[in-house]
Amino acid sequence: MAKLGIHDLAVRYGKLTAISDLSFTVAEGERLFISGPNGAGKSSLLGAISGAVRAAHGRIEMDGDILSGLGPERIARRGLSMVPEGRRIFGGLTVRENLMVGTGIRRDRAAVADDLETAFTAFPILRDRANAPAGALSGGQQQMLAIARALMTNPKVMLVDEPSLGLAPKVVDEVYDRLCSLQALRGLTLVIVEQSSTRAARVGGRMILMRGGRIVADGDAAGFAAADLLSEAYFGDPA
Amino acid sequence: MSLQLLFDALSLGGIYAIAALGIALIFGVMKLVNFAHGQFIACAVFALILPSTDAVAALGLGLLPTPLLILAILGFGAGLAMAAEALVFRPLRNASPVALMVGSFALGVALQNLLLVLYGGRPKAISLWAGLGAPVQIGPAEVPLLQLIVIAAVIAILLALGLMLKRSRLGLEMRAAAEDFGMAQLLGVRANHVISGAFALSGALAAVVALVMVAQTGVADVRMGGQIMLIAFIATVVGGMGSLPGAVAAGLAIGAASALLQAGLPDAARPFRDAFLYALVIFVLLFRPQGLFAAAGAKPRV
Repeated sequence: MAKLGIHDLAVRYGKLTAISDLSFTVAEGERLFISGPNGAGKSSLLGAISGAVRAAHGRIEMDGDILSGLGPERIARRGLSMVPEGRRIFGGLTVRENLMVGTGIRRDRAAVADDLETAFTAFPILRDRANAPAGALSGGQQQMLAIARALMTNPKVMLVDEPSLGLAPKVVDEVYDRLCSLQALRGLTLVIVEQSSTRAARVGGRMILMRGGRIVADGDAAGFAAADLLSEAYFGDPA
Repeated sequence: MSLQLLFDALSLGGIYAIAALGIALIFGVMKLVNFAHGQFIACAVFALILPSTDAVAALGLGLLPTPLLILAILGFGAGLAMAAEALVFRPLRNASPVALMVGSFALGVALQNLLLVLYGGRPKAISLWAGLGAPVQIGPAEVPLLQLIVIAAVIAILLALGLMLKRSRLGLEMRAAAEDFGMAQLLGVRANHVISGAFALSGALAAVVALVMVAQTGVADVRMGGQIMLIAFIATVVGGMGSLPGAVAAGLAIGAASALLQAGLPDAARPFRDAFLYALVIFVLLFRPQGLFAAAGAKPRV
């Protein structure tokens, strides 16, 4: 059974259609990149899966349970976590407090302490700045905090929206490096929105290309990069 | 004389701060200016006495021994606010801030009229804690015992609230929700839980103000919520909407300014004290339209 299943999903904002008739599945432990030009519906898709955006119709399933219509609070409890676009760090809270916000849904206190340790080991800068206000972190550090914060809910599926946005290439390397090792460590299923198909190819995984709210291609990210000069030009995608 | 003035300023400002906090807490989590807050205060005052339209009030909850009485009134305030949230504000949760604000006005008017029906419109004398007026000698100044109690209570409440916000689960979730409610929900924070908790705290703070007002004036008046609500609202604006330290600082500052004006203005100008006070508020807002403390928010850095 697929870990995550999207069936005939549609998202509309008033009369504007962001996503229509979208279907795909994600296998357990898979790394799936969603790419495509601005306005393709990538963020709407993640919004619909996480419950932040209401779907007009369609069905979203995780482990065979229907998520659609539950709302973000309850979807988070089912084990789906989100690293949103723009990171949305709680700037007035300390780094440690940011990490603890998502642990209210957990009853396993000892495991929470272990996970905090894991997060601090993966991102040593967060340990160094644990008691500093999160708003004082740099952009790259905030991205790492957002990833660590999402992990603290103990998710099975993690959605990551544009982790490379506004970061220097070297920092992006680091972010993906940590993201991949954490995925291996935790057996996570990852869905990542990534504008750059060359970046996706370098990290490796499956890639779905979206345009105008639909899927136009689905396959191995490395294959895209090789055969992609044409579509790259066609979409005007920054590589 | 100046020591006396200091105690006046602290006790008055402290109460303004507590009232302003009640408004800022709710604004912080749900961007609602709760104009019914003044009526929460009035209701908590009237909860002390039995419903009747007689001129002399018969004590109801007010007959309880003091510690129980305080707990009962705090519980009443918290319960009233939580009920108001569940019945009025929860159905309006996704409405515009303006609709929420109008809803709070409507609730305030409804509560005030309920009090009018149950208790009549005439102010009533409540005799509680008569001994608190006794003066205490502190150095050269004579300070009413009540003022000392109020100042101590305000300090204790601010510390307890600060500790609660900083250390408790609910406090953490409230602070996170105040910055970015949608993000907090994505992390599994329950909106109902946080908002209900904020209202409970706000209602308990309203009850504190009610107890102090009764102790100070010995009167229950249906209109008593209006004046303090106005000042508390101004304090939250001057402090920076949603900023809790701002609300406290501005509440204290307005109390202090009020006490200073009362003492410093010439006799002829004293009846216009509030006009001077509000002129001062306008002056401050001219220079800091966003308030003294801008509310904390996540500013994404690139």
